[in-house]
Amino acid sequence: MSDIVEEIRSAYVAVGIRLDHPATYGTYYRLLCAGCGRMVGNVGDKLLPGMAAALVDQQFDLYAAGLVGCACGHQQERTRALDAGRWEAARQRYASAGGTA
Amino acid sequence: MSDTRTSEMHVIAEAEQRGRTDLWPFWRRAYAQGDPLPKLTCAVNRPAYRFDEDEPLPEEYKTLLLRMLRHEGERAGNKSFLGLMASCLDLAETIFPTAEAKLLKAEYLAEELKHGIMFHRLAVGLDRSFALLDVPYAHYAFHLPRETWADDAMFHFFVDLNGAFHSRDWRESSYVPLQKMAATVERDELGHSEMGYYFLQQICADARGRALAQHLLGKWYPAALDMFGRSDSPNVPKFIQWGLKSVGNAEIRHAYKQYVDGKIAALGLEVPDERQNRRFL
Repeated sequence: MSDIVEEIRSAYVAVGIRLDHPATYGTYYRLLCAGCGRMVGNVGDKLLPGMAAALVDQQFDLYAAGLVGCACGHQQERTRALDAGRWEAARQRYASAGGTA
Repeated sequence: MSDTRTSEMHVIAEAEQRGRTDLWPFWRRAYAQGDPLPKLTCAVNRPAYRFDEDEPLPEEYKTLLLRMLRHEGERAGNKSFLGLMASCLDLAETIFPTAEAKLLKAEYLAEELKHGIMFHRLAVGLDRSFALLDVPYAHYAFHLPRETWADDAMFHFFVDLNGAFHSRDWRESSYVPLQKMAATVERDELGHSEMGYYFLQQICADARGRALAQHLLGKWYPAALDMFGRSDSPNVPKFIQWGLKSVGNAEIRHAYKQYVDGKIAALGLEVPDERQNRRFL
């Protein structure tokens, strides 16, 4: 496994997303909810060094507010456990944007 | 083009006609209002080269042409292209918002596979060993995580539009087989971008969707601008001299940026700072 794939795997583990085996012909990986196993997206293995962690961190608020992540709510739970203050602020911000987070 | 090949393409054209709906193909509406893309005019005085299939190519010319086609990637014999298409299928099957969206993605995939056939023919005519060469997409924009339909919409809006701009430039290509297919590929890619934009319009119809799209612009906008490469790339003057490109990376990026900025603003979104999170200036 390449260093980048390992970076991607570690970055997503933190928010409750598991990297599946490479999909068709390699290069692309399915992202699975670590809570229920449902596919929540995909990612390729040519991100630049450091990019995976930065992208997942930038999406923290989206996971917290339920705008991104599995319908089962696992990523919302994980982000709450990681940083309850940031989680609450994100949910309030997106709720005021017209959502129902 | 041989009679057999003309007949093959006629069958494909007929199949495409049967797939037409009010929405698909999206390029129809875009081109009905005039040429949607800006002209890319070469400002350099250069020889008027013209090379057709089966003609001997200068070594440097062939190297540059193959390099350009490796980046393009849409060949039936390129496993990585098929892998990218499979990733689109995965998303269409799992996170589609409506049955209409799912069907539109199916039309998109069919059209990209048509490009796979067109570029396969071009590859065989150019260098048979290239026809079955696996070339993974090197740019990170093709590898960014897509975790929502909005991500996927941005992928199409930005990344397919990059293809449309390059195809526009190929209308003037000195390599005749590429020049001949350029208008079709440009039109289709612009349509794929419009499909992404159509999804974004739906997503941005409410405040929550707009907030999501605004956030995701921070991921896709810099990648989209980075896709044109470094402004000082040392190979660009050679591409221009041989007639394989008309303008440099900075010029085509600028034209692209003007185009997408207008479309982003029309969605009610704020255009990000063009220097934020950029990797290739």
